[in-house]
Amino acid sequence: KMAAAGSLRRAGWRLWRGRAVVRCQLSPPQHPLQASAVLRRVSDEQKKEPLASSSQQQFDSHATDHQPEQEPQGPRPSYTGQGGQESEDYETEEQLQHRILTAALEFVPEHGWTAEAIAEGAKTLGLSVAAAGMFHSDGSELILHFVSQCNTKLSELLEQEQKLVQLGEAEKKPTDQFLRDAVEARLRMLIPYIEKWPQALSILLLPHNIPSSLNLLTSMIDDVWHYAGDQSTDFNWYTRRAVLTGIYNTTELVMMQDSSPDFEETWRFLENRVADAMNMGNTANQVQSTGEAVVQGLMGAAVTVSNAETIRAVR
Amino acid sequence: AAAGLCPCRALLARRGGALRALCGSVRGLAAGQETHFGFQTVTEAERREKIYQVFESVAKKYDVMNDSMTLGIHRVWKDILMHKMNPSPGTLLLDVAGGTGDIAFRFINYVRSVREHQLQRKLKHHQNLSWQEISESYQEDKFKLLGDSRVVVCDINKEMLKVGKQKAQHLGYSEGLSWVLGDAEELPFDDDKFDVYTIAFGIRNVTRIDLALQEAYRVLKPGGRFLCLEFSHVSNPLLSRLYDLYSFQVIPVLGEIIAGDWKSYQYLVESIRRFPPQEELKAMIEDTGFLKVDYQNLNSGIVAIHSGFKL
Repeated sequence: KMAAAGSLRRAGWRLWRGRAVVRCQLSPPQHPLQASAVLRRVSDEQKKEPLASSSQQQFDSHATDHQPEQEPQGPRPSYTGQGGQESEDYETEEQLQHRILTAALEFVPEHGWTAEAIAEGAKTLGLSVAAAGMFHSDGSELILHFVSQCNTKLSELLEQEQKLVQLGEAEKKPTDQFLRDAVEARLRMLIPYIEKWPQALSILLLPHNIPSSLNLLTSMIDDVWHYAGDQSTDFNWYTRRAVLTGIYNTTELVMMQDSSPDFEETWRFLENRVADAMNMGNTANQVQSTGEAVVQGLMGAAVTVSNAETIRAVR
Repeated sequence: AAAGLCPCRALLARRGGALRALCGSVRGLAAGQETHFGFQTVTEAERREKIYQVFESVAKKYDVMNDSMTLGIHRVWKDILMHKMNPSPGTLLLDVAGGTGDIAFRFINYVRSVREHQLQRKLKHHQNLSWQEISESYQEDKFKLLGDSRVVVCDINKEMLKVGKQKAQHLGYSEGLSWVLGDAEELPFDDDKFDVYTIAFGIRNVTRIDLALQEAYRVLKPGGRFLCLEFSHVSNPLLSRLYDLYSFQVIPVLGEIIAGDWKSYQYLVESIRRFPPQEELKAMIEDTGFLKVDYQNLNSGIVAIHSGFKL
């Protein structure tokens, strides 16, 4: 069993690196119905969804019961369902849930962020509509999944831009331009769902969702600053993130109510806010240097006074 | 009772020991393994027979007894089950051991109201409807309102089904409802047929629970959901004492007064005690192949809803 678990882990690692498809052969299962009806081979996924490394190693208990033999294989055959003679490494339930949620997104403009959209999504994957019962009935998971997907897309975008700059194919943008472009890119991802987004925001503010939504927001802001080249280790780290969070949130709200063509008003609002933030930074610097000057002046005055006293004493 | 059943006992007395063993084993094979009926130990065949008789005799007073024993709370439990299921229109439900149709009727009501809301929302969006379209939408009769949702009520007991059909007629449920005589351990349906499988207060009476679970897995579509509403074990010691007191002192008496049947209700409370607790049932469901198996205690464990998905 140890060998099997070890080999499964290795298989998971290989799959994560996107390399060879691993094929396992099932020994006849103990219960005739135990072969999973729906969980597919991991290799079948062609999306760029973030696969958390931990989930790769949690294969469900039924997969670990089988003794897999690994043979490297070329192009994969068509999917064999329940009762198929050969099965590969099964995806986990979480991955299946991700697939359902991704499929459900296309039904959001029609049904909103609801269990109905999830049910329609499950239907397109060939599952029963009852599979929507796996998720909370208020649609929270769908929204969180979408937000997480958008954040990942944004990270990838910024990563690519950074690569171009490093290769010398593009110029490094000034900070305010960078922030503006990043926030705009991220907010543009909301455009297909903009009608139902207010509903999503209100659901994200529900108490049981706040930890997760806050987490996603802060990590996104963190990412943006990281790619903007922020390397501060002092209090600036906090102020920068707080400022950008404020800019992002207010711009998002403005976008909800914007009816101008291609959201021009929103981008102009964003530009103004970023400019304000930059100025505020300068003001802070000015305040700091003024403060330093004042302190130096005081120190100088103190030294002068003490010198004067000493000279007088000497006389 | 066993002595009366087997005439070969008399033969055994005259023949040898080998024949006695043979007869005993044949009797054992015919009747099945030892199992429980309430607190008694019986063979499997005897158990099936006895349970059939129990429900045959209580069928007419089943709903009345439910109300009086649980003080009407069973309606709330069944409503909670329906909310948990949250069926969307177009769902195909199989209600096993559904006897008098409580779950089926609730399903129909739920789906109808969901559908109504959907239609209202659609109408709100379409601001420029022609008069014809508006009149068509008002003509949506009950059948259309139900959509493609259907529920099949399956029960092993003819009497219970009879009572259920009468109730349906009385309450006016006609479309989207089927009544099938069948055994939970061997369902008369094809594979991969149903979206949801429910068994409310029925799995306790099944003799081979693992077979029933396997059948449930078989008839569900991929992605389908298994829901089981059943009496379970109370962990809170104080509540447990009160519950035991109520079960053993009050319920059989109510059974005698209202339904004229002390024994059946004695069986009922005993069978609750013999039923596996929440975690054990969850393990059995997982063993069958269901994933994302979970349970929800209602009234601190007096009743539990187990849910699993065929993935």
